[in-house]
Amino acid sequence: MSDAMLYALAGAMLAGCGTYGLLTAGGALGRILGFNILGGGVFLIFGAVARRGAGAGLAADPVPQALVITGIVVAFCATALAVALLLRLKAADGAGEEEP
Amino acid sequence: MSALLVLALTVPLLGLVPLLLAGPRVGERAALAVLAIGAGLCVAVGVAVALSGRALQYFVAGLAPPLGIGLRADGFSAAMMGMSALVLALTAFYAMRAPGAGAPRMPPAFFMLLLALASALNLAFLAQDLFTLYVALELLTFAAVPLVCLDGKPGQLRAAMTYLMFALFGSVLYLLGVVLVYGQFGTLDFARLSAALALAPPGWSFGAALALMSAGLMAKAALFPLHLWLPPAHAGAPPAASAVLSAVVIKAPLFLLVRLWADLAPVPMAQAAAPVLAICGAGAILVCGVVALAQVRLKLLIAYSTAAQIGYLGLMFPLAAGADAYWSALAWTGGTLHLVSHAFSKAAMFMAAGLIAEVFGHDRLAGLKGAARVAPLSIAAFGIGGLSLLGLPPSGGFTAKVMLLTSALQQGAWWIGVVVLAGGLLAGGYVLRLLVLALQRPEDGTLPAARECGWRAGIALALAFGAVALGFLPLAPLGFLSIGRPIAWEGLAP
Amino acid sequence: MSGFLTTPPLPISVAPEALLLLAIAAPLALALAMLAPGLRRLVPRLLILAPLPALVAAVAVPRGMSVLVAPYPFRFTLALDGSGALLLGGAALLWMAAGAYACAYMRKDPARGAFATWWALTMAGSFAVFLVADVASFYLAYALVSFSAFGLVTHDDTPEARRAGNLYLALTVLGEAFLIAAFVMLASGTSEANPLIRDAVAALPTSPFRSAIVLLLLAGFTLKMGLFPLHVWMPLAHAVAPVPGSAALSGVVVKAGVIGLLRFLPDGVALPGWGEALTAVGIFTAFYGVALGVTQTHPKRALAYSTVSQMGVVGAVIGAALASGLPGAFPIAAFYAVNHMLLKGAMFLVAGLAMASAPARARQAALIAGVLGLSLAGLPFTGGALAKYAIKIVVPDGIAGFLLTLSAVGSALLMARYAVLVTASGKERQTPPGGILLPALALAALALAVPFALFAPVTGLPLAAAFSGDALAKGVWPVALGLALAGLLAWRRWPLPEVPAGDILHAMGPLAALWRHTLDLAVAADARLRRWPVAATALIALAALLAVVAR
Repeated sequence: MSDAMLYALAGAMLAGCGTYGLLTAGGALGRILGFNILGGGVFLIFGAVARRGAGAGLAADPVPQALVITGIVVAFCATALAVALLLRLKAADGAGEEEP
Repeated sequence: MSALLVLALTVPLLGLVPLLLAGPRVGERAALAVLAIGAGLCVAVGVAVALSGRALQYFVAGLAPPLGIGLRADGFSAAMMGMSALVLALTAFYAMRAPGAGAPRMPPAFFMLLLALASALNLAFLAQDLFTLYVALELLTFAAVPLVCLDGKPGQLRAAMTYLMFALFGSVLYLLGVVLVYGQFGTLDFARLSAALALAPPGWSFGAALALMSAGLMAKAALFPLHLWLPPAHAGAPPAASAVLSAVVIKAPLFLLVRLWADLAPVPMAQAAAPVLAICGAGAILVCGVVALAQVRLKLLIAYSTAAQIGYLGLMFPLAAGADAYWSALAWTGGTLHLVSHAFSKAAMFMAAGLIAEVFGHDRLAGLKGAARVAPLSIAAFGIGGLSLLGLPPSGGFTAKVMLLTSALQQGAWWIGVVVLAGGLLAGGYVLRLLVLALQRPEDGTLPAARECGWRAGIALALAFGAVALGFLPLAPLGFLSIGRPIAWEGLAP
Repeated sequence: MSGFLTTPPLPISVAPEALLLLAIAAPLALALAMLAPGLRRLVPRLLILAPLPALVAAVAVPRGMSVLVAPYPFRFTLALDGSGALLLGGAALLWMAAGAYACAYMRKDPARGAFATWWALTMAGSFAVFLVADVASFYLAYALVSFSAFGLVTHDDTPEARRAGNLYLALTVLGEAFLIAAFVMLASGTSEANPLIRDAVAALPTSPFRSAIVLLLLAGFTLKMGLFPLHVWMPLAHAVAPVPGSAALSGVVVKAGVIGLLRFLPDGVALPGWGEALTAVGIFTAFYGVALGVTQTHPKRALAYSTVSQMGVVGAVIGAALASGLPGAFPIAAFYAVNHMLLKGAMFLVAGLAMASAPARARQAALIAGVLGLSLAGLPFTGGALAKYAIKIVVPDGIAGFLLTLSAVGSALLMARYAVLVTASGKERQTPPGGILLPALALAALALAVPFALFAPVTGLPLAAAFSGDALAKGVWPVALGLALAGLLAWRRWPLPEVPAGDILHAMGPLAALWRHTLDLAVAADARLRRWPVAATALIALAALLAVVAR
């Protein structure tokens, strides 16, 4: 089994776990975690694809690496926004405000 | 000319500077001015595309793909850019506080998000590779989610949370699809992908990639049965925010869905997948349309109507993927026209609903008897916008409906025609419900003393008339939409 | 055939095209004038004059004149043909008289401005349906007259009016759906997206969708005409509107359905099966309307059922023309429709007059009502007799012809009932608003006289033909029998239980229950689908499904 395959399988497992978490998690925090695990899995698969797709004779395809980094930044922003929302939600719920 | 594309992306962001540095009053005006300039730029792009008859293209930093990033405006993109920029600019105008009026003031954050939306939308309409589109979609989501919860009420926050998480789920699936495409072709650029696809028939992994991307886009567009987040998010947001969310934000993923299946996917693959999209569309029109009739609050009714109306685009896929060039072009024109006229009429309806709610202090339908007496312009805007949803002439909705019906008829897709007609009936139900109530005589003492804000109702009315004006397009494939696409519609005989 | 149908009585040479446009534009301009506060007070007075261009157009514009108001891609074409001119002229007369009546009748009504707006819009739409010549504009005009009439129906805003209005609106939307489907199929037979109605209809007999088109057209237009079983809205809606509104609804608005059938079905081409079916439905409706109308206790409801019955006759005539393929039959149906238009309008105005008068005055009004009723039933030497005689040309003696003659018995019976109800509708110590007497009388006189002027040009027969001994005998016995029946009913005092207006609607409880069930089901399904685990699973499943089908 090649390295790339190992990474890809690990990525697939992570993605599976993340998806399971997203489907079953009861609360928002669980979903945020699920999203992150799923995202991690996808990035790992992307890395493996980069390795495998480096058929052009390079040691590794640099484009996916750049894309993965961008993707991680985006996912991080998303997580930050989600957590911020979650905190606001907790605060608002805690204050006992009622909907109009 | 092609520098226009970069300007369309960057100019809206310039408006952030005065919003951050100067006071809110100056900032708001600057934002409005910048959005107006942005609308001018988008219209200029459309004019340039129409005059040259070719797509505008721009490579960032002069680097062509695979290393560089390409921006490209064809007729379809230009139409969507023009529509979204106009709606955004008018919404900003609507959201500016009326001098002396007691309308609630939109925070500066609203204008910042509006500017961010303008830029992200243009990126989604212009970007030429799948990953840049992913970034554009994420930017769009990050700008749209806070719009849902601007007032910070718990209900809004919950709706925003659901929206964000579901959209993120969708975008991860989209990204997975992008990864699969890259693994197979080693490129994400549309033009290079098309060239590669033309050489060899794609394998199952390309189909899987398209499926994943489509599912992700459908989640972001809230196409039935993935519409869980839309009604609470669009109904809970402040009216100006609802207007942009319902009118333009969900149109970007729909636009990309069309791009994927109509421009990128090989025809047999698109034909195979189209029925699934059409069934989702039919489900949206029928289920969400019926549920809209059961709503007791006006904004929820409009939100469900949005969830129902985007179904028409789903119905377009099997028709546009049809074998006959003319009827597929007609269906394509009808679908696009529906997208655009729905944007105008839905923005008008949400704005009108906001003004009505301002006057009455609530938006429960049962309490809106006699609304036409205190908010005549708003009711007129709602009614005229609703005309388009009902598919009555003259309106873009009517023209789009006739195009879809004709195409369905000519291609023997009877069931699609029946769903289009049923959708019109349901739309009649939910649009006329408010109008009938508004025209009734109110019970004594239930009518509020306040009156609608006239000039903001005027903006809603202008948008509604925009939807009406689209009804004057000829009932034939619009050549403009085919500019820069693989197939040209010039000289198509019926 | 000559005269009114082929050449106008008073041809004009100055801008006849502009006149056609002005016929529609004048009432529209009045409706728009309501937007200007300065003009608002003037509008109700001008309602009397708004139909004038339409009247002049009907009398003076050359037949066959067609105007392309807006060129491609807008395409808005007007044209005047024989049937259109008949209905346009009749409608203009009715709108004028009813407008004058409304002006006086609604003087104290605080919401008369809104009424005037709806009135002008309905008028514009009604003129437009008689004049437009291309399919898309017809759809627009038809929608305008249908939706504006809602404002007339619900003007009084009582619970009954609201209910009637909602039903009317729901069925109107349904009718629009039928028609757009039919029009799209029709247009597919031509090379243009928005063909002239003429061209589209020419392609109908060879269309691959012929059956579907004819079925949808019949459904859409007979809904407006109130043919069984789509008549349920009419007795409700026509009875709740203000009196002049009822006159316009029953007189003119239902004729939008008639002109629809005349325009969109091929004249002189047999459509076997469809013609017979329409005749059967029409004849059944003619009797059904009478049977239910006789039980009514309010003159306006009795009149509404009479409209149902009379539109059944028109439907049967058109059906017979379709069955035989007799050319030139459609103007005769239009002639019958015009006769009904003016009579029914006058009857509503007279009923309104009686209802606002003292009993003595009401009895005088009942006299006029009786004369109008006899004309509708076809008593010889009345205008109605000419209309009845004319339709015999299309529906010759035979089962259908005999049944139509028999329906005149019913008409006479129902009209007697109407006259009796009018007699009883006066109340002590009330005087009618000044100014409603004259328009009612004028319209009544016109209704009795106009058919005499039109008979010869429409049928091509001399007026004397309708007064031959044979024709007189054929005309007298149904009326005599009907009156005898009415007398018998009155003498024996048989209790006729009043059938609630909307009749079979009340048997549609299960349908309403089904709809509520659907609503609940959809709401429940939506709530389930919108739960996170379900939606998230649906997302994954959708991706998998797409991947499988797009292999």
